[in-house]
Amino acid sequence: MPFAQALIHRQAGGPIAGRGLGNLKSKWLERISATVLVAVLCGCGGSRVTLKNPSIPKPLIAQLPMSVAARYPAEFDNFVHEEQVIGKEKWTIDLGSSNRLLFTQLFGAMFTEFMVIEEGTDARDLPIDALIEPSIDAFEFSVPNQSQTDEFAVWIRYRIKIFDSDGVQVANWPIAAYGKSQSSTFGGDAALRKAAILAMRDAAALIIMQMDKSTGISKLRSTNTRSNLAPSTAMPDSESIQTTAAEEIPDGPGQ
Amino acid sequence: MVPDNNPKQGYKMQLRAVVALLAGASLSACVTSRLEHIKEAKTGILEGESIVIMAKSYHLGNETEEKFIECVGNTIARGRGGLRVIPNQEFVDALFPWFEPRTAPADTKGLPALMSRPGVAEVIKEKGVRYLIWLDGDTDKTAGGGSMSCAIGPGGGGCFGFAWWQNESAYEATVWDLDGLADAGTVSAEVSGTSFLPAIIIPVPLIARTRSKACKGLAEQLKLFIVADEEI
Repeated sequence: MPFAQALIHRQAGGPIAGRGLGNLKSKWLERISATVLVAVLCGCGGSRVTLKNPSIPKPLIAQLPMSVAARYPAEFDNFVHEEQVIGKEKWTIDLGSSNRLLFTQLFGAMFTEFMVIEEGTDARDLPIDALIEPSIDAFEFSVPNQSQTDEFAVWIRYRIKIFDSDGVQVANWPIAAYGKSQSSTFGGDAALRKAAILAMRDAAALIIMQMDKSTGISKLRSTNTRSNLAPSTAMPDSESIQTTAAEEIPDGPGQ
Repeated sequence: MVPDNNPKQGYKMQLRAVVALLAGASLSACVTSRLEHIKEAKTGILEGESIVIMAKSYHLGNETEEKFIECVGNTIARGRGGLRVIPNQEFVDALFPWFEPRTAPADTKGLPALMSRPGVAEVIKEKGVRYLIWLDGDTDKTAGGGSMSCAIGPGGGGCFGFAWWQNESAYEATVWDLDGLADAGTVSAEVSGTSFLPAIIIPVPLIARTRSKACKGLAEQLKLFIVADEEI
C-alpha cells in the first residue's frame, strides 16, 4: 500500500469514524487529503513535454537551383532535454525527431533538389553541390518560476556546417533561435511546447533569411546545375564562401 | 394559495441572492479609461476586404497577451458593422517566414520590399487583407496592499482581511493600410482601476476589469477608425 493511502486509511479509521456526521466529515477529509497528496506527489514528479511531429508551413520563397544533401546527427532522431529548476520541479522536453522533420521540410523548400543521407554515407560519391550538417550546440529553456513572469522561453543554438562536393568544409555557421509563450493562455505544458515550436520556426526563418549571406552556399552550385536549372531569386550571393559567421545575440531570459 | 414555507426553498433563494450580490459586486469596481486616435490617412473598407490583428514582435520587447489579441479580434468581428477578421496564425502561416517575430516588418518602410517577395502580394490579395493592425502594450499591476488570511479546519473555513491592487492596461494599435502601403494611424487605450477584496468569512471580490475594458474600448474605436471616412 502506498504511503499516502496508508496515511489516509489510518486517519479514516480513527475515533471520529463511524459516528454519523463525523463519519461524513471524515470521508470528505479523506477525499480532500487524497487530492492534495496526489497533486503534491504529481508536482514532485515534474513535467514532461513531448513534441509530436511539429511542422513548419511551406515557406514563401523561390528555391535555390542547387542539388543539396543533408546528414543529421543521431540526436536529431531523439532529442531529450531535462532541466531541474533549483528547489522546484523538474521539466523534461522531448523533441523526438522534430529537428529532423524541421530541417528536412526547410531544406526541401529551399533547394530544387534535396536528399537526406544517413551517417556513414560518403557524400563525395553523390552528384550534389553541397552537403549540410546541422547539429544542436545547446538547448535551454526557462519557466515562469525562474523568469518571474508568466512566460516560458526556449533557446536553441544550432550549428550548420556546409561541405562542398569534394567534402571540404566551407562554412561553420552558429545560429541562435528563440521562442516564448505565455502560460496563462496555453497552460504550462502547452506553453513550453509552443515556445519550443516558435524557437524552431525562428531558426527556420533565420536560415531562410541569412543562410546564403552567411555561408555562401549558392557559390557551390556546380556548372552542371547552373546550366540545367533556372537562376535563383531567393537569396543574394555573398562575397566569400569560407565563413565562421558571427552568432546572433539571442534575447535574454524574460525579454 | 398556501405560501411555500419549505426551508430548502428559502435557503436556495438566499443562496441565489448572495450569488447575485457577489456577481454584481464583482463587476462594480470603478475603472477610468482614456481612448485616443490619430488618423494619418483616409480609411474605409470595402465588402470582401478583411483585417488581421497581430502582436508586435517580442523581439522588440512587446508583451501583449494572446488573450487580448483574441479579445480585440472577436470584438471587432462581432455585432452590427462587424469587420471580417482573419485569424493571425492563419495569416502568419500563409506568409511564412515573413511575419515571424524575427522577420516581421517593423514599420511601413519595409512593406514595399516585403510585397515584392515571391508570392507575398498574391497571398495578401487572395485573403483580401486591407488593414494590418499591430498591437503593443500590456496590463500591469502597478500597486497593491492590505492583507488577508484564510484558514480551513474540520468545522469549516473562512477568510478575514482586506486586500487591494491597482491594474493599469495600456495598449496601442497601429493600423497599416496594405492598399497604399502606408501608416493609417494609431488608436490607443489606457484603462486603470483598483480592485478590492474585503473578506469577513467569505471574500467579496470587487474586480476592476481593466484589460477587458481596454479590449472593448480599443476594438470599438478601431472599428470606427477603419470604417469612418472622416476628414484628416
